[in-house]
This record gives sequence, C-alpha cells and structure tokens, in this order.
Amino acid sequence: MKVVNLLAVVEEDKCRGCKICEMVCPVVAIQMENRIAVIDSERCRGCAACEQRCPDYAIKMVKREQPIYVKVDVSAVDYTQIEELCKKAKFNPEQLICYCTATRAEEVAAAILQGAKSPEELSYLTGVRTGCKVECIQPLLRLLDAAGIEPQRPKNGWQWYGKTVTVWEIPEEVKQKYASRGFYFDEDIKLLDRVVEAPLQGRSDT
Amino acid sequence: MRSPLTPIPPRASQYGIEPELVKTRVSELPGMTSVLLKELFPDLPEVIYPSTEGLAAVRTATVNALQKVDMSKIKPEHSVNILASHHGFTLLGGEPYAELLRTIKDVVEARTGCKNIRLRAGVGLRFRETEEYIKRYGLDKHFNGKAIGVAPIDQGIAIETEIGTLYGIKKVYDADWIIHAHNSDVREVHFHRQVDRAVKPFGMSYARIETRSTYHQNLGPRAANFTARAIFDSPFVQSKFAFAAFLTMAPNGIVGVDVDSDLYALNNRVTEIGCRYYGKMMTLLGEVDECIAALDFPAPAVYVFSAGVIYANFAGANTDLYDLEMPLPAYTWYTESFYGKRGRPLLDEIPPMNKAIKMAVHNYAWTGYPCAFFTEHIPTVVVGQEQAELFNRDPQNLSYMKHAVVSESTEAAMEFAYKTSGTRKVIVFDGAMGGINVSEPLAELLIRKAPEVSERVEELLLPKWLKQRGINL
Ligand code: SF4
Ligand code: SF4
Repeated sequence: MKVVNLLAVVEEDKCRGCKICEMVCPVVAIQMENRIAVIDSERCRGCAACEQRCPDYAIKMVKREQPIYVKVDVSAVDYTQIEELCKKAKFNPEQLICYCTATRAEEVAAAILQGAKSPEELSYLTGVRTGCKVECIQPLLRLLDAAGIEPQRPKNGWQWYGKTVTVWEIPEEVKQKYASRGFYFDEDIKLLDRVVEAPLQGRSDT
Repeated sequence: MRSPLTPIPPRASQYGIEPELVKTRVSELPGMTSVLLKELFPDLPEVIYPSTEGLAAVRTATVNALQKVDMSKIKPEHSVNILASHHGFTLLGGEPYAELLRTIKDVVEARTGCKNIRLRAGVGLRFRETEEYIKRYGLDKHFNGKAIGVAPIDQGIAIETEIGTLYGIKKVYDADWIIHAHNSDVREVHFHRQVDRAVKPFGMSYARIETRSTYHQNLGPRAANFTARAIFDSPFVQSKFAFAAFLTMAPNGIVGVDVDSDLYALNNRVTEIGCRYYGKMMTLLGEVDECIAALDFPAPAVYVFSAGVIYANFAGANTDLYDLEMPLPAYTWYTESFYGKRGRPLLDEIPPMNKAIKMAVHNYAWTGYPCAFFTEHIPTVVVGQEQAELFNRDPQNLSYMKHAVVSESTEAAMEFAYKTSGTRKVIVFDGAMGGINVSEPLAELLIRKAPEVSERVEELLLPKWLKQRGINL
C-alpha cells in the first residue's frame, strides 16, 4: 500500500536522452520520445529513482496536487489461496516485505492471484519497491516463482536481473565449511520457518 | 563536570534540511556535559585522529601501512578502481576517510606508474550521497575527474558464487584491479553482527539490489552477511582483488591504518577490535535505565552517532547484539518485517525496542532511510516544520511523521521531552569526537557503571563473542 504524493517531472531542456531513467524506473513509467524522456504521470509511483540517477539532473520530484492511493484489495481473493502462496514462498502472509511502504506479503500475493505477472506490475499495483527501491526485489521474485510465473525483465532495463538463493537452498557443504565462522544457517532456517507458521493477527485493515 | 564537546556540524545535503535551519544543537542547552571515552574505558587504544597532528597523521599511517603490500601485479598500463563507501565519510567529519582515499591513489600511482586510477564510491539508500562527498572533499579533482558515485540500481554484473549467481554493480568491477578502501567502524552491528564485517561492502555498497535483498530478506538475520563472503570469494572478484586498506576505528577515534592483501586476516583483527571496544560501549549503553535520546547529526535517524555507536544500536541495546545465540535484535529489518497487522511481533521472543528510550528528540537527522519503525515504537519529537515536511516528501519515510509530533525549537522539544518523560537523563547522538555529550545525571550513571561493564566484557562476554566467530585470541 502506498500513498503516492510525488511525481517525477522532466525538464526537457536538460534531458540528453541517455535512457538511464527509463532503465531504472520500477514501474516502467518512462519512455523516450524524440530522444527526450517522457513520464506517464498516472503510472509514476513517486520513487525518485529516475531523479536520483539522471546524470544531467534533468528530473525533479514535485508534490502531487492529488495523492494517488495505491493498494490491492486483499479481500477480493480467497484468503486460503493467499496463505498457500505466501507459505510456498516461505513468507508469513502478514510479514512486511517492503519497509518503506509497509506492504505485507499478503497484498503482493493477492496482486499475483489477481493476475500480476512481473515485479513491475506488482510495484505499480501495490507500491512495493517504490520507496528505497532496493530491499524488496527478492520477495517479489520469490512470490512470483511460487505462483509458477517466470517474469520477463523489461527489455534493456536494469530494474532487476534475477532471483537469488534463499537460506533454505544453501548447500550442505557450504554450511559445513563455514560453520565455525559465525554463520548460523540452520538456526536461521528454524527461526524463519517459525515466522512462516506464526499465527495471523487478523485482518484489521479490511 | 566537563563542558560539552563540539558536535559534528550540519552538512548541506539534499537529504537534510539547510544547515542554517539548525539553529540550536542539543549539546548547547543547559545541563549538558560530556564524558571522555578514555575516562570510561581507560584501556581504549591511543588514537592518531583526532590529534594535534590532524590529517597528516592519517596520511603518514596510510603511507607506512601501504609499504607492506605487494603492488607488483599492477602494471602501468592497467586500470585500478579504488572502492569506497559512503559510511567512511560519516566518520569524524569525513576528512580522514577522504585523506585515506587520496593517499592510496598517490601511493599506488607513485609505486606502480599506473595512471588510470579511479574512485568508485558506493552508497546505501541515498543514491547521490557519495556524489556529494566527492565534490565536498575535492576527490573529483584529486582523481582527475575519474571519481564517481555508484548506486545499487545502476547497471549490474552477474557474479557466479558458491551459492549461485549474485549481482554486483558493473562500474565497481570495470577495472583490472580493485582496492577495497574501507574502515572498521562497526556501525550496523544489528545487521552484520560483527561477522565478516570487513567483507560486508562486497554484499552491500558494491552490490546490486538483488544481492542486498538477498542479504536482508532471503538468508536470515545471522546468515545474511554470507552474501558478502560469497561474492568476495568468487573467482571473478578474486581475479581483480589487489588489497584492502582500512581506517582502524575505535569508539574514541582512528587507531591506525591496516593494509592487507589477505582480507580475512584483516577481518580477524577488525572482529577483535570491534567486539572488544565497541562491545564495551554498547554494553555500557545497555545499562542506561531511562533517557531521552537526542538525534543531532548529518545522517539518517538510524545512523546518528554517539560514542561510536549509532542510534539503531542504542534502540537495540536492551539485548546483546554481539551474542549470536540471540537471533533477532530489537531492531533489524528482519525484526521489523516480523511485526504483524496488529502491530505485535509474530513471535513471542522478538524483543521490544529499548524501553529505556523514553523519548527521542529529532533535532537534526536526514531522510533517505526507512525509519518509520522508530517513530512507531519510540515517542518522537521532530524539531521544525521544514524537517517534518522533508520527511513527508521522502518515499522511504512516508509514515515517519504519522507517529511523531513537531516542535518549533530545540529548546521547546527538550522541555516537552523532560516534562512528559519524567527523566533528566539525556544522550546526544551528535558525533562528538573522543567523548559523549550527555546530561549530568547520565554522565554520573555511565561513569559509575563503566568499570563493571569493562570487566564483564573482558572476562565473560568477549571470549564468548570471539568463539562464536571462530576467532582465537
Ligand atoms: S536520465 Fe536524465 S538525461 Fe537521461 S534520458 Fe532520463 S531525463 Fe534524460
Ligand atoms: S516511478 Fe520512480 S523512476 Fe518511475 S517515473 Fe516515477 S519517480 Fe521516476
């Protein structure tokens, strides 16, 4: 869930058409037209990735007159399906997977169950990955993977490259090799498993 | 009682309010004093900075330390990336780290004849932060225009590791050789738990979002930093690694410069110094029974410093952050994510935020890091409407002000905090060097408790902490 109160705006005279903003936008809201970046203001989720990476300082973040409320209705989906998908991806449905927007696994799962097929669509629909833009990419890829979806990367984009290892998949020989160096793999697996199974606190926001 | 120490001044940055808006520092208010860290822990090492020699001491120590490293594989026709991180520029005003970087460049150039030496400076979640430092410290000039900030959403490069593919930032690795220029300050002990601290940037400031997310979401609180080791040990990174050069830090300043082509040997030294000296400081801060925490430093709220310890760690000082038997600190992203919809932890054993912090007075701290968890759990007063507005515009802190109140001045905020919290103990996170700015009642408590803490760490805790990390003294 996110209240989008900012909007990216291109200062056309400064834009040199390098496409970097297009390659980093997590919701694919930027396209090049006549070698100038054009932002789809309805799609923009105000994350400032483009503004922070434009080498020519050609993008400004401005306050929206009307904030956009971005949220997927969790109640529109059978909750047992949400629980199943989250558990398969090894998340508790109530677990936060995006700290900046306080988006929980259940909301992303609901978006997937309603047809979202890529991290970009999930960011657009839930606001996830439009805060720090860094920490929540793996949960999105894990949930999509658990739903049997193989997302396509935006063409030529740098939005994301691939799903990576989880602690459950660390090879035994690696665990053994580093057992005395302070890496508590098996203990962390136990902890995370208990989080996955922890009782839900209730659907207070529906 | 001593007068307060000079705090680190506010810095012009897109992530904070204009320095002139910071009208009063908390340490200037009546009732504030300071304690030197050497008074608390006389066994703290002697420092080369701050000292009367100033930055020259850092240059000399760097030149001397570099003498022991073999640079023969760097040829005149090669390219070298000196890898830096934002964190170093937050230490003791930032100049010492900038001087380390400048000196490495000068020495490598003189010794090898290599002219193509670049600076690649990684960041956390403020993607232009090191770009600001590069300008501030004149590093662009010193590196002949070859100094850039790199961010985790920049173009990536796949790195094959023993746990599968992870991803680095392409520009970090676009040279024949890399030099890992860092520091041993512990900072985020809630994340890395002093496990492979010296290796961490390979999984963080030099890494893409996929890797950082692996660290913070996929591996668990005590396995997280393995991402760094996996990347560093990869054949790709090993083929480029020349050596590491670190500012060796203690809570009271810079102890020296450590250079090694064996990063794990350096890491063992870093682990010991981190556990011993920072461990003592954190354990002492865990003894504070009640206080107001004043945030007053040019960094995001979690990263403001006092006695070499960051606020995020004070918020978890009710638990032993160094004890790896304890899975979750009171604050870490894993912990934060394990709070359910009713605002309660999903597991009973998740510790609450440090109850000793009765109130936080946010006099001056930056945006650019998700901090809403802090205002949600610790009553917080933010000084100045401009600062509140800045947080409301930060995509990482859209809820920060939801749980905080605004006060129009530092004086009014502190008065409010004194009245409503009922405590006169104040700790100021303002980066004061060599000591800690506190109110008189807190100074008394720290001085009284320090000897017992020192003994407990030496006899009981330190041996346990080091054993957990496979280090024999
Ligand atoms: S990053 Fe900046 S210069 Fe490059 S296309 Fe976008 S707006 Fe234009
Ligand atoms: S979503 Fe982010 S990157 Fe995309 S246009 Fe908006 S501010 Fe820029």
